[in-house]
Amino acid sequence: MIEFREIGKRFTGTVALEGVNFAIERGGVYALVGENGAGKSTLMNLLAGVYPDYEGEIRVDGEPVRFRSTRDAERAGVSIIHQELNLVPDLSVAENIFLGREPTDKLGFIDFRKMRRDAEAVLADFDFPHSVNAKVSTIGVGWGQIVEIAKALSLEADVILMDEPTSALSENELTRLFAKTRELKERGATILFVSHRLKEIFEIADEAIVLRDGKYVGRRTIAETTREELVNLMIGREFFEERRDVDLDAKPAILKTERLALKRGGAPLLRGIDFELREGEILGVAGLLGSGRTELLKFLYGELRGETEGALFFRGEPYSPRSAARSIRDGVSFLSEDRKVEGNFAEQTIRFNASVSVLDRFSSFGFLDEKREKSAVGELLEKLNVKMRGDKQKITELSGGNQQKVLLGRSLMSEPKLLLLDEPTRGVDVGSKQEIYDLARDLAERGVSIVAASSEIPELLMLCDRVLVLSAGEQTAILDSATADSRDVLQHAFTNV
Amino acid sequence: MNKQLSVFFAENEWVKPALGFLGLFVLCIVFSPVSSKGTLIFLKFDNLSNVLRQVSEIGIISVGMTLVILTGGIDLSVGSVLGLSATATAFGLMDWRLGFFGAIGVALALGAGAGFVNGAITSAGKIQSFIVTLAMMTGARGFALFLSDANSRNIGFGENAAPESFKIFTESFFGVPFPVYIFLAVAVVAAIVLRKTRFGRHIFAVGGNQTAARLSGVNVALTRTVAFTVAGFLSGLAGVVHAAQLYQGNPNDGVGFELDAIAAVVVGGASLMGGKGSMEGTIAGVLIIGVLSNILGLHGVEKDFQLMLKGAIIVAAVLMQERRWSFRNKGA
Repeated sequence: MIEFREIGKRFTGTVALEGVNFAIERGGVYALVGENGAGKSTLMNLLAGVYPDYEGEIRVDGEPVRFRSTRDAERAGVSIIHQELNLVPDLSVAENIFLGREPTDKLGFIDFRKMRRDAEAVLADFDFPHSVNAKVSTIGVGWGQIVEIAKALSLEADVILMDEPTSALSENELTRLFAKTRELKERGATILFVSHRLKEIFEIADEAIVLRDGKYVGRRTIAETTREELVNLMIGREFFEERRDVDLDAKPAILKTERLALKRGGAPLLRGIDFELREGEILGVAGLLGSGRTELLKFLYGELRGETEGALFFRGEPYSPRSAARSIRDGVSFLSEDRKVEGNFAEQTIRFNASVSVLDRFSSFGFLDEKREKSAVGELLEKLNVKMRGDKQKITELSGGNQQKVLLGRSLMSEPKLLLLDEPTRGVDVGSKQEIYDLARDLAERGVSIVAASSEIPELLMLCDRVLVLSAGEQTAILDSATADSRDVLQHAFTNV
Repeated sequence: MNKQLSVFFAENEWVKPALGFLGLFVLCIVFSPVSSKGTLIFLKFDNLSNVLRQVSEIGIISVGMTLVILTGGIDLSVGSVLGLSATATAFGLMDWRLGFFGAIGVALALGAGAGFVNGAITSAGKIQSFIVTLAMMTGARGFALFLSDANSRNIGFGENAAPESFKIFTESFFGVPFPVYIFLAVAVVAAIVLRKTRFGRHIFAVGGNQTAARLSGVNVALTRTVAFTVAGFLSGLAGVVHAAQLYQGNPNDGVGFELDAIAAVVVGGASLMGGKGSMEGTIAGVLIIGVLSNILGLHGVEKDFQLMLKGAIIVAAVLMQERRWSFRNKGA
């Protein structure tokens, strides 16, 4: 049994956890749920030894423990899989899995053969498509997540903490992860995981533990609760899921492609891209991991360039995206799927992060008018409901969801006509997700066109007017989300694999 | 109160090096040697203005180095460029007869040109600036030796020599030597640029997260190139000051200055990873190192021991930067 007693944790100026009391039994799958900043990740990190400095007491099987480091926790059988990848990009998959505990031969040299064999063994259940000798930088975020999970499994921990292990996974990788999770549970392991996807929680968890604003608010046995009940516990208000209904055919096309194909260094990245995006339309981009969702968005933003075929029109004119800087000037904005690597300026303030792409607007002769900047940023972030102490706070002090809202704010500062969102709700809690959906719809109402890529098919069907499906870089369908369901989307996503 | 204090420290990173300098200053007063008349020698106006004059060359270089380090780069060529600029200044005045502005203009242009080449090759070739500026460090030294035939050139004044106006660099105004005003002016302008301009923000953006900067529409190559060009220009300026202080241009001068400048920037709280640091911090770092040398000199500590102590102080200062200041109990 693992008990949390009167747990409290404070960061510079903010309370992350306060008086948290609950206990979980061994051999179960527990979901830790709550809104952004509810304290879920923090609580996991306390148990995993990431933050040894906290109030209260954690007991494992009746024994008080206080892990000083993740290594310390691992020795006691507690292993954590982090929300953001903690892999070394230039090391191989096998080297990452056994980082810091490499098997050695008699002379003390690394026994690479054993390491490879063991790595292959832990990855066997995941149908891992790459060699374990491949560098992590070459396998993509989703498979990186799988490597991270394999690493935790190879530690043979009996308490496994997963901080949003699924946020980068596509549906079929999820299935494998869940099968693995059930197997672990049968072997008597305890699994505590954070997820924002209710569907997953209902599929895999035995019990959900709900946190709100750093406090424990209750727990529900999954078999005896409903989505609505959980969501209401988390956010304390009603949760809507509805589709909008507008007539888009009357609107002019903002973006139009004709048999567009993109190659880079001879390798085909995209082909057969053929769609029309109307003013105020939300177009979803669906596809499996590696199907080219991110590539399509980055191509449209001018970040990914190569040899193109076919035609692209933006606001009626032939168009070829050249650079992010030009796209922003032309009224195109982009939100990256990878906050840590491509989004945040981690050392900088919220205001810096929000305004960096539109400093022209606040400067004359290169000098910034900080008053105007402050009020514009303040106004926008208030609309986005960012929970912060002030705009001089470092962005990394915010919870994942609030960071995402700041970055979304950055994309909106330039008042785009076309908004490209890559996994806009990844690692974001239910309440913020809803806010992001509402915001996207609101923007669409006001004539902004949106292209949103997501690995969550139900999310796309609910949010978007139409869904473009990619399979191995090729467009295989455009579906009307009023009539299509998840199965249709998946079928087209699997066409080429 | 404690919470507000820790928030204040988190949001104003330059405060730590500034407090470090103040602490050192107080220590220097306490340990100052006393003259026969009973006054504290360290605190004497002449001594303090002497400290400032001594740090002004490294100070000017450190301002440029700060810009480069904030973008995530490093400039190893500043010492050689200073030597080149000092040499060009002397030859410009004495042999090429360029006059006051002409000679200084050539020296500054050489500095800025070297910096521009550093920045352009780093950006266009996507090569680490460590390597590019290492090459420039060698190349600029070679060019200085070529210009001067490996001889130092003395600066004299008179009919067929340097104009009297060049003596301004060795004069004092209100008791403060002219180079100190140059250092302060450069530092203040740079601090304002970093804090109040779009370019300053772009420097932090490029150094903090290059990919995010590019995706946010920041011209990464341009920002980096300008930072290197300014650093080169300021090395050129320091070279002019150097030549004027010594009344000569020596192509072998400035060896090791890049390391002193990097030390000052790092003691000032900047991260060599880029994106973190401040001009205020760098100024504090320059002063910390300057005051330290001064008090040791006043006590007649030998050069060898001074260097060892300086090494230890740099490490200690950086260790103090890395520690998060906490005003709370650490818990059980």
